[in-house]
Parts: sequence; structure tokens; C-alpha cells
Amino acid sequence: MSDFWRRLWGSTRHFRPALVLVIVLFAVFAATQPAFLGTRNLQNMLTAVAVLWVVSIGMTFVTITGGIDLSAGATVALVGIFIGKMVNYTPVPSWVTIILCVVIGVAIGALINGALIGRLGMSFFVVTLATMTALTGVVNLWSNSQTDTVADAAIAWVGVDRTLGMPTPIWIMIVVFLVALFVQNRTHFGRDMYAVGGSIAAARLSGIRVERTVMAAYAIVGGCAGLAGVIAVGRIGAATPQVDGDLPLQAAAAVLLGGTALMGGSGGVGGTAVGVLFIGILQNGLSISGVQSYWQQVVTGVILVAAVLGERFNGRGRGRRRWFGELARMRPRAGDAEQEEAESAESVGTKAD
Amino acid sequence: MNDPTGAAPLLELRDLTKRYGGIHALRGASLTISRPGVVHGLIGENGSGKSTMLGILSGQVEPDSGSIGIGGEPVQFHRPLEAIAQGIAMVSQETALAPALTVAENILLGSRLVGGRFGIDWSATRARAAEVLDRLRLPIDPEQLTGSLSPDRQQMVEIARALSMDARVLILDEPTSSLTDDQVGVLFRTIETLKAQGVSVVFVSHRLGEMFAIVDELTVLRDGRTVAEGPMAEFDVHRIVDEMVGRQGAWAEHAGLERDFSRAAGEPPALAVEGLEVPGVIRGASFEVGRGEIVGIAGLVGSGRSELLEAIFGARAIGAGEILLAGSPYRPKQPRAAITRRIGYLPPDRKVRGLVLGRSVRDNLTMAVTAFLWRLLPYRKSRTAPIVDRVMRTMRVRAASPDVAVGTLSGGNQQKVALGKWLAVDSEVLLLDEPTRGVDVAAKAEIHGLLHEAAERGAALLVSSSENEELIELCDRILVLFRGEIIASVESKEATEAILGRYTGGHTTG
Repeated sequence: MSDFWRRLWGSTRHFRPALVLVIVLFAVFAATQPAFLGTRNLQNMLTAVAVLWVVSIGMTFVTITGGIDLSAGATVALVGIFIGKMVNYTPVPSWVTIILCVVIGVAIGALINGALIGRLGMSFFVVTLATMTALTGVVNLWSNSQTDTVADAAIAWVGVDRTLGMPTPIWIMIVVFLVALFVQNRTHFGRDMYAVGGSIAAARLSGIRVERTVMAAYAIVGGCAGLAGVIAVGRIGAATPQVDGDLPLQAAAAVLLGGTALMGGSGGVGGTAVGVLFIGILQNGLSISGVQSYWQQVVTGVILVAAVLGERFNGRGRGRRRWFGELARMRPRAGDAEQEEAESAESVGTKAD
Repeated sequence: MNDPTGAAPLLELRDLTKRYGGIHALRGASLTISRPGVVHGLIGENGSGKSTMLGILSGQVEPDSGSIGIGGEPVQFHRPLEAIAQGIAMVSQETALAPALTVAENILLGSRLVGGRFGIDWSATRARAAEVLDRLRLPIDPEQLTGSLSPDRQQMVEIARALSMDARVLILDEPTSSLTDDQVGVLFRTIETLKAQGVSVVFVSHRLGEMFAIVDELTVLRDGRTVAEGPMAEFDVHRIVDEMVGRQGAWAEHAGLERDFSRAAGEPPALAVEGLEVPGVIRGASFEVGRGEIVGIAGLVGSGRSELLEAIFGARAIGAGEILLAGSPYRPKQPRAAITRRIGYLPPDRKVRGLVLGRSVRDNLTMAVTAFLWRLLPYRKSRTAPIVDRVMRTMRVRAASPDVAVGTLSGGNQQKVALGKWLAVDSEVLLLDEPTRGVDVAAKAEIHGLLHEAAERGAALLVSSSENEELIELCDRILVLFRGEIIASVESKEATEAILGRYTGGHTTG
């Protein structure tokens, strides 16, 4: 058992600063706000970030391959309008609609974003920005810029109802997280993502199908956005044409906060979960403390810079380094040569035997 | 090495020590440049402290103890600018130029662009740059974009930049590692020019041949200490290698293994290429490589060496021609197809294309072998453990565990992992581009040994290298490429560097 805990702790090395922050934050709110620890409040806290959570988990896959999907927010809105149309104007059973939502998300991710980025090698920024812009237009055209009420049992079940005593969105969060964790750590596709993010050229020369890997990553974030769209509609009971352009950026913030490198090749969904929890706890804690919740955004921004700065000192695959020692000697990149020298000195040490 | 006149040496580093955490990078290293206009060689295995020493000399690293003296005066450097002010300038291993700026701008980058009454005086800046290039006798147009220059020319621009700072001591950290033999010749002529002008050069290289060609005095580092120093005349190859490795007779162990290759009769060659065309690069290449044979490809940069290997591996489109693998036709559309036919390819840039540095040794070694499994198949360490184990053992990869990131290993061990990837899939044809680039002498000998072993197991090896010396040592036969055509095939036994040099320059007669 102790081995299990040691390995669990070892697997947190990409996001320890964020993990510590979340624990501290949790402890502070628990100690100062009696209402914070209530089951009801904790459930509210989680359901409030359910959409962000699902999108962020998907976003992690894309980020590991070295990209970001800016169109996720538009996909969420598009799926919302789709639900409104299907539920209100067609006899299609709503469980079919829910599945179709995920399929639409996957299709947008794979056939538009993934194909253009993975197959044609276009910049993720250009492609997903264009997709976001175009989909926003589609959303407004299709909905006539009108909000549609959605009163449907299945959709409400996904978004607000309880299952086995807990809000369904929380169950969905758990399932999505576990599936993502499995795919990331325990499948060959998972290893491919890291290889592609680390070096596309090396991956291709090793026989990995880079195009498919990239397409699959965008398909995953698309599918997640589709699912998130169902939760979003279920929560408010309406399909709105408002595209939350901030959502993909918030998701990216959570991913980066969770220690996944923007350049790709490292990190994972474990850290992302912690990143989303950070945002969720901060939002909830501040609002029950009577502080304007916009402070959450200010704090998240500051912490994000601090966390990424910390990541730089930890260095990718460089092993442990002393934080403050590094800060003290922060000077232009002389460090790299020294580091390499010191490390190879280490390997020479073992050469003797 | 004191000057016979008794004058203080130009530059003296004494008893430097430097620790990084628990690791002693330097523990009593010294280096003395006796006088102006001398080329001082610095040699040592990877990890012997060379980079740290150069860092101290150029003001990037502060030593824990020890002293720096210039002309007998003690000095201290806290940042690179202070070293430059004392006339010490460094040209680092990787070029650090802005490719989109002109040569003149790069030479005078920063605050040294000539100021005029209305901002920068461009014509004066160009004139100043032209002056420096002229001093180096370099026919480079200062108005040219730096990115359009060949790598050796770019290096010259870096040297010009260092020189424009009125350097008295110029540090060249492995300046030849990405140059071809004839480019090295140009560099050496430039160094001679500098020498004649009284500039001293600290020259770092892994290539012993270059040391003997250009260096006047030598310092050998081992484990952070200076173990030998003196005029080059006091050294020979044996002594240098013995001092670097720290063992008498080490040279003999590293010297080339004798090989005698003869192709089995009646067996189709493992790789046969007939009339291969690669649009714009290779014209009508035909050759064969037998099982167990090591064939080298010599040629200048731009002769198509790398492109030929890439084409056979399916990483570059083929125009016309035929390739046969053990007699059966093969036409690769992508690397994946090549791998299924048991071809392995070691790219020349291991840090970019050869490895994923941030991933573990295990992941890198098994990348090719697992590339053909169903992607949603659960990944199990136990499945690959025997392979990883076997490869790490046969390749003698020195790593704390297979789970450490490849980027933390030394250059030689990284290269072994990049090579081991293809051992893991039992490649029958190995295409190797610069298999020992950027590794030290000992690791180089070790990699050569491993390649010999692979050949003995029956693999066919096609090796491209910019070092003719290496090809002669390693290969059974050497093909010479000139502007995309194979113009000669030389048995290694009969090859000398002089002969290869002539062929690679395009001279097919005498």
C-alpha cells in the first residue's frame, strides 16, 4: 500500500505547486467559512465547474500534442442550439440527441480542426480561431439569435438531476476523468500523444501515425465539448445562442496551471483536474465570503504566471532542482550549458564501474 | 609553458573549482595561454568540465574558487560583458544569429550599430562590418541575409562578430561539429589569419585530427582537473587518449577493430538500389549493401548524403529507380512502410528527430516496436520490459533506470538509445546519418564497436558521415557522392583521407 501512495505522489510531480495551492485554499476556506464544507456547497462548487472540467480534460489531450482548441466554446453553444431544435421540433428520443451531440463534437474536432492541423500541418491557432468564428456565425444564424427553452427529462438529468444522491454532472466528471486517465496512461495512443508533442519528427520517423494522433486529440476535445454542451443546456434548461468565448481560454488556464506544458510533450489530466478545482474552489470560496467573484480571475491570472514560472525551473525531464536557488541565479541562459555539463559529469561518475 | 622571456602569460586560469549541487564540475582546473597569436586546444571527454571552464572564461559562470589573470593582472568576471571588455569573446557551439537580419546587422548586433545624427547610420554600419569581414578575408556581402548563408559561413559571421568586439582571445567551442571537411579548411585558414594578427584562439574539439592540424598548445581535462598541458609537440594520439580516459593503453582499446567482410555467394544483397532519382537531389544512384556489410557514404554537405538515406527510409519522395530488399521490390511512401520492411534510420540530429528528449529511455526505445500495435490497446510495461532490458544491455546504455528522461543522459548514451530503437525492432537494414556526431572519443569508439556487432549479426549498414576519417575506420567500402551522383566506390583498405578528399571535391582522376 505504501508503494501505491509513493507512486501516486510521484505522479503528481508536474503539478505539485498547484496541488499545494488547492489544499491550502481549501483549508483556508474551510477554516474561515463555516458554510464552505457543507455537502450542498461542495456539490454546488463542483457542478459550477462541470462544463469547464469536461472541456479542460479534453483540452489536456490537445495541449499535450502541442496545441489549444479555441473553438471548444463555440462547439458547446452549437450543440446547445442543436439540442433545442431536436427536443422542441423533432420526435427524436433525447438519449439519441445526447449521443449525437458528442458525435457532432467529435466530427468538428476530427474533420475540421484535426484534419487541417494534423493532415495539412496548419497552425492550431489559425485553424481553431477560424472554426470558432465560423461556428459562432452558424450558432447565431441557426438560432436566429433566440434563446429556446429546453424542458426535457433526459437533458435535465444530465445537467441538474441527482443520481444515487449526487448531482449527475459530478458523476459525469468522475467518469470522464477516469476514462481520460486510462487513455492517457494506459493506451498506446496515450504514449503517441506525448511523443508527438515532444517531437513530431522523431515520432514520425519511429513509425507513429502523427496525423491520426493529432486528429484523435482534437476529436477528443470536440467530443468533450459536445458532452459539456449537454450539461450546459441541462443546467439552465435553455439553449442560448451566447458563445462563451472565454471557456476555451479558461480551460487552457486550468490545463497550464495543472502543469501541462504549452509546448506539449508533458503533463496530464491529473494536473488539469487540480487546475479546475483551483478555479472552482476560489470562485465558490470567494463568493460565500462575500468577495466579488471577479477576484477569482485576477488571482487565477497571477497564479498561472507563477505556476508556469515554477515549471520553467523544474524543467522538463531535468529531475529535481532547487527552486529558490534557481530564482537567485536567474540570469540569461548560461544555465543550460552548465546543467548539461553537470549532468554528464554525473553520468561519467557511473562510467567508472 | 612560461614564455622564455619571463613575461606573464597572456591569460591564466588557475585552480578553478565549481560545484553544482553535489557534482564537482571543476576541481582544480587550470589553463594557460602563453602569448598572443597562439591556438590553444582544450580537450576532454563529455562531462570533464570543458563547458564550465569556457563558461568561467567568458564570464557566464562564476567559479567557487580559483583565479583568472590577464597579462599577470588578476581579474574577475561577473557577467559576459565584463569578459568582452577584457577582450575575451566566445563563439558557442550552436549558432546564435538572427537569420532574418543582414550579415552587417548580425556582426554589430546590439548597441554597436553605428549611430548617426538621425538614428542608425546604415552606411557606416555596413562599412564597419565590411572592414571586419575584410580583416578575416571573407568574401561575404554584409548586406546579405544571414539565413541564406551556408552553416560554415554563418559561423564565420559569428567569428566576425566576436572579432568586432576587439577580441584578443577568441573561444571557439566545437566550431567544427557541424562543418564538412572542406568547410573546416576554410575555418582553419581564418584561424591562421587571426593568429597572424595576434589574436589567440581557444579551440575545443572532439576530433583529434583537427587538434594536430591547428593547435599550438594543449590542455587536457579529466573529471574537472587539468591532467596534462603543454606544447602540442609533446603530445601524440596515444598520450592524449590515455590522459583523457585516465588509463594507460586506453588508446589501444579504442583503436579500430579489424574486420574482414566477404559477401556470401549467391545471396541477394540486403539492400540494392538501382538508378534511384530523388528530384533535385540524387541522380541515378546504384549500389548494393550485403548482409553484414558496412558501406559508407562520403560527400560534402549538399552532395545528397542525407537525402539519399531519407529517400530509402521513405521520408523523402522518390522520383524514379528501383529498390530491392533481399531481392524483393520495395517502394516506401512513408517511414512506417520502411519500418515494416525492417529498415531503421538514425537521423543526424538526435535531439530533434532521433529522440523525444522529455520522454523516458523506455518510451524512446520502444517507440518503433510498439508503433504497430492497436492504439487503444492497454500499454503494459511488462510487455516491453524484456526488449528494453535486452537493448540496454547490448547497447551498454548507462542510465540510472529505463524510466529517466532521455534528455538527462550524456550525448553518447543518448545516441545509443536512438540507435537502440532500431535494435529493438531487429532492423535488417540500418541507415545511419552521422552516427557519432557530438559524442566524445570514448563513446565514439564504443558506438563503432556496436555497429560492428550489428553487422556481425547480419544487418546491412549504410553510414553517412562528414568525417572521412570515421568512414575509413568504420566501413568496408565507401561510396563517394558528388552533387547527387555516386562518382566512386573505394575499398576502405585502400582509402586514405587524401583520396576521399579528392573524390568528394569532385575529382575523379588521380
